[in-house]
Amino acid sequence: MQRDKFFKEIDNLTHPNERLIKTHCSYCGMQCGMNLRVNTITNKIIGVEPRYDWPVTVGKMCPKGVTAYQQTNHKDRLLKPLIRDDASLKGTKEGFREASWEEAYDLIAAKFKELQEQYGKDSLSVFSGVSMTNEKCYLTGKFARVALGTRYIDYNGRFCMSSAAGGFLRSFGVDRGSTLPWTDIHETDCLFIAGSNTAECHPTSMFRVWAVQERGGYLIVADPRETPIARRADIHLDLKPGTDLALANGILNLLIQNGYADEEFVRQHTNGFEETKELVKEFTPEYTSELTGVAIEKIVRAAEIYGKAPNAIVMFARGVEQQHKGVDNVSAYVNLALVTGKIGRTKAGVATFTGQGNGQGGREHGQKADLLPGYRKITNPKHVQEVCDVWGITPEEMPGPGVSAYEMFELMEKKTIRGLYLLCSNPAVSAPNLNFVRQAMKNLDFMVCADFYLSESAEFADVVLPSVTWSEDEGTVTNLEGRIIKINQAQEPIGESKPDWKIQVELAERLGRGKYFSHLHTAKDVADEFRLATKGGYADYYGATWDKIDKQDGVFWPCKDEKDAGTPHMFLDKKFYHEDGRAKICALPYRPPAEEPDEQYPLRLTTGRVVYHYLSGNQTRRIPFLKDMCPEPFVEVHPETALKYDINHEENVRLFTRRGEGIYRVKITEAIRQDTVFVPYHFGHEQSINLLTIAALDPMSRMPEFKACAAQIEKLEQKKVQ
Amino acid sequence: MKKRLYLELENCIGCRSCLAACTQCGGHEERNRNYVYDVNPLVNRQTMPLMCLHCVNPACARSCPAQAIQIHETGAVLSALVEKCIGCQNCTIACPYGIPKFDTEQNLMYKCDLCIDRTKDGIPPMCASVCPTNTLQWLTDEEIENKKQHNLDNGKWVTSMPYLEGETNVKISLPGILQGVTKLF
Repeated sequence: MQRDKFFKEIDNLTHPNERLIKTHCSYCGMQCGMNLRVNTITNKIIGVEPRYDWPVTVGKMCPKGVTAYQQTNHKDRLLKPLIRDDASLKGTKEGFREASWEEAYDLIAAKFKELQEQYGKDSLSVFSGVSMTNEKCYLTGKFARVALGTRYIDYNGRFCMSSAAGGFLRSFGVDRGSTLPWTDIHETDCLFIAGSNTAECHPTSMFRVWAVQERGGYLIVADPRETPIARRADIHLDLKPGTDLALANGILNLLIQNGYADEEFVRQHTNGFEETKELVKEFTPEYTSELTGVAIEKIVRAAEIYGKAPNAIVMFARGVEQQHKGVDNVSAYVNLALVTGKIGRTKAGVATFTGQGNGQGGREHGQKADLLPGYRKITNPKHVQEVCDVWGITPEEMPGPGVSAYEMFELMEKKTIRGLYLLCSNPAVSAPNLNFVRQAMKNLDFMVCADFYLSESAEFADVVLPSVTWSEDEGTVTNLEGRIIKINQAQEPIGESKPDWKIQVELAERLGRGKYFSHLHTAKDVADEFRLATKGGYADYYGATWDKIDKQDGVFWPCKDEKDAGTPHMFLDKKFYHEDGRAKICALPYRPPAEEPDEQYPLRLTTGRVVYHYLSGNQTRRIPFLKDMCPEPFVEVHPETALKYDINHEENVRLFTRRGEGIYRVKITEAIRQDTVFVPYHFGHEQSINLLTIAALDPMSRMPEFKACAAQIEKLEQKKVQ
Repeated sequence: MKKRLYLELENCIGCRSCLAACTQCGGHEERNRNYVYDVNPLVNRQTMPLMCLHCVNPACARSCPAQAIQIHETGAVLSALVEKCIGCQNCTIACPYGIPKFDTEQNLMYKCDLCIDRTKDGIPPMCASVCPTNTLQWLTDEEIENKKQHNLDNGKWVTSMPYLEGETNVKISLPGILQGVTKLF
């Protein structure tokens, strides 16, 4: 299926006493295929071998993928539960002692019951993540609602994909991150990529991106930095951080003014064109240039190329989404495809680069404060009834909607939330405004953290439960295409570590809710219940059996039944998911970032990733090769700006905002705007750039504005006397 | 069919996956054997790999007083034989690209052997297998010919003009992959 020009029949190298386990990477949404090498005598994972027969990535891996296997038997793995009796040591690594699962479960059950009896069901909360299988994400939602009975569950997708989800829902009525498979990318004629450092964050997309240019197609990149992908772009729209909405409106205006709108498509398949056309009139090239800082000629040329391209794909990522208008940014870029009709066919469409491994699937099945499995709404009585039927509870027992990830910390600070079960996430590094968030975590009466390493967030816990890595369990993940794929188990869990789904089943039993969970003995049991729970929802996985996934090289959702092969391309019938079958072209007034530079804080701070690390770095900072390549954060500064502050390459400076500060090593580069500085966010404790970022939330997605705030630099070192 | 390593320098994004993968090759003792350079670090993000080019008449082997550097029948210039290498580092000095690395503890040279345990059986080397950008590719001569971009004055594959060393088994697209490409519209 979808074997393209990059696919080659290659036999793998196998060594004696070794077997290869076909699986996928543990990290980003690309979910590159890989084979884990397992020693047949020790039954331990010992290395990696390319998976040439995976059609999306044909053996390719980034340095994180190549070294991912080193996580499993790493010396830092947690092998037993840890308990800390002295709460005054919260926020440090100190005071933990090893304990049995029995003791840990007993303590958790007692504390959870005590808190709920005293302060009500909603005094407990679950904070989860999407770097784990669909089955685990699904069960975590059920665990919160059925075992704990709390409304407060949310997840780290609020720091990652929620703006894309909100934008797609508004524009299309459905949230599948890509309207087409990745194997279409190299065949399109123009890629318009906004706010995505693709080469570093999704490197294995790059051979397809470059192939567009090799064929004579165009690459347009919008980014405040000249990232490795922007370096080779035909047009680099080097905008000020936080001004994407103006840029997208300006391009849309030019497309309409210059006759590139597909009037037939707009009339038949969309709503909202006329008012949008009116609104974007204001965004002349001159005005757009003034707002964004991008040269007029570049804006005009980008619109011309996108307009003329027979096929084009608009792609974006956290750069546009992690803003307090992230949802609007997404809809504004989707507008380009809708107005020109470059969607609903092969080789043309819209896609977001999903950040986390299961950023797509993990947001669909009930970890979000207001969602239930199959992308059902917890505020819709019919949806609630459907899920209750699978779970065996009554609608009265279903808790209402909770609040978003960052807002949960606000409730912890206010003592509305007193207990936390944290898994698969490291918000003590990844949340914005960390001084506040860390204090909120300290403020909890009782906190449990499940992780396979002692993360910075685990340092705030009373009990730490050792979970397993991706290679010690099995289940499905939905990659950035919307393709459901299978993660296979390569090794038995090390030490006493357990998969999260098992921890939840056993904990539910301790909490007296065993009858809703005790039938789940294996990951496959969870998978079967999960598929059933999605049946009839619009993210319908019912037909995506493990067998089918294996036979077809993955299954694109929706996949409703056994006969359904899945849906690689969305909207081929030009039917969108709003009730009238039309897509919505959105009229979106521009608003600047929540915090604009001023005299006191004249620089724009933006954050992002480097190729060697993944998210909070809890995994990648422990891998020797990746640590060697990027051991610490840095601040990228333009040479002109450096001159102004009298700072040099490699010099340490103090970078600060209204919320926090940090000491960073200067990296001078012309590949950034003069008014902007950049720091990667993968580092913990005092190195976390999120001590400085702002928690201005998008009104719809509740996504914080990681990508733009006002900052200032202070020189630390005295000039050497010549 | 004989395949060669082919380098398309313009594609490089500096991810160094090739170096990470190099350590994974069975015969490499978890040490990477090649290089990726920032071309102009204070200016832009351009990077390029510097791989052993497996010269047809390699200076490293010629300069070795102990004849420790063997050439495999596939053309791969192998790492120094442990039992013969005397640790003189002549090879590193002789190589116009400075490829051979030196292990000071073991007093041994080590270099890229083109993953000979893979390539002898037609399996691509680790670096070209994983390279996310197709900077490193494993291609037949015909596929390389079809790349068309190598309009060098002397019609030969050499690594620089005027060339430093001579014909190499590894091929590099010097003019850059996008030169001569006609835009679609």
